Amino acid sequence: MSELRWNPLLGEWLATATHRQQRTFLPPADFCPLCPTRAGGFPTEIPESTYDIVSFENKFPSLRSHPEPPAIESTELYPVRPSEGVCEVVVYTPNHTSSLAAEPVEQIDKLVRVWTDRFRELGALAFVRYVFIFENKGEAIGVTLHHPHGQIYAYPFVPPRLARELEQSKAHHEQKGRCLLCDVLAEERQISRRIVAENESFTAFIPFFARWPYETHVYSRRHFQALTDMTRDEQKNLASMLKTVLAAFDLLFNLSFPYMMVMHQRPVDGGAYDYYHFHIEFYPPLRSANRLKYLAGSETGAGMFINDTLPEEKAAELRSHVAPAVWKGEGR
Amino acid sequence: MKRRQITLADGRYLIFYTFDDEMPAPASAQEGGAVEQQQRREPPVETEREEKPRV
Repeated sequence: MSELRWNPLLGEWLATATHRQQRTFLPPADFCPLCPTRAGGFPTEIPESTYDIVSFENKFPSLRSHPEPPAIESTELYPVRPSEGVCEVVVYTPNHTSSLAAEPVEQIDKLVRVWTDRFRELGALAFVRYVFIFENKGEAIGVTLHHPHGQIYAYPFVPPRLARELEQSKAHHEQKGRCLLCDVLAEERQISRRIVAENESFTAFIPFFARWPYETHVYSRRHFQALTDMTRDEQKNLASMLKTVLAAFDLLFNLSFPYMMVMHQRPVDGGAYDYYHFHIEFYPPLRSANRLKYLAGSETGAGMFINDTLPEEKAAELRSHVAPAVWKGEGR
Repeated sequence: MKRRQITLADGRYLIFYTFDDEMPAPASAQEGGAVEQQQRREPPVETEREEKPRV
């Protein structure tokens, strides 16, 4: 049972998806549904003995391309609509014990190209308004499968956090005649204390306004709006930057660092979003090796985050673990 | 980059992405109950295609 319900207090949609209660929860490695199906072995979600990268419709989706009618009727106060959309799972590698951080930069480059293809294709569907690419990594975030994978939600509306960021970007552009994120990037580069890493096409930094101790943003140096706008060199440089940031995360506490990774791109509703700027944000929940930052009363009930750390100090800490990504044949 | 789409036994689509000749030849698509390119659902895609060059 799944439907979209309107929250009149916040002016936003939420999804019910009761079937997701039944989804596979932290299975043993021998029964991982994202591993290849080995001869004579457990039949996984992926019916071949090997693969490079795969993307498929989630078995337990919050949104479906052919949704069932809502189980409850709309009222004037409480509109309800079918949970139309698409939920995909993107499996990064057949190696169950790997992670995006542990994969070679060449594999991350392949993933960037797969993301681009998925953005292009899902964004062309008539009922899709926003394609959201993300990864939840680690039990601290609540993952139910350890196999390295991410997800894509193709929403039938622009989600509220993205809508707010777009509104702020548009207002800034109308006032100043400049891109808000270009201005943020320029100020961060000028101050430089919060910069984590940089290459020809991307800059990683912990922003002045970070909500999480190690919240790291990756902005494109060039002003563009979506994966599909990138040149081949920019694709490779994005892969390099992701490898650099993820490897530094793992070195912070010598553990496989949990995080949420989210990609912010223009909506796909046919509107003009030239004022917007492509970027990726990481929200790691750890504030030390064994302590989590919780979303408690102020964060959840009031929407005001309290960061117990200074971005300037955390950026220096993360920067001390940065090493450039090495492509095959480059050597060190 | 090449892609090959199959339909799983329960009707969901699954897309294999391969890159140049780095990927070993895939095993039979019939393994595990997949039915290749039958009952294709949205989003419609080509069976296999090359990545278009970027402008």
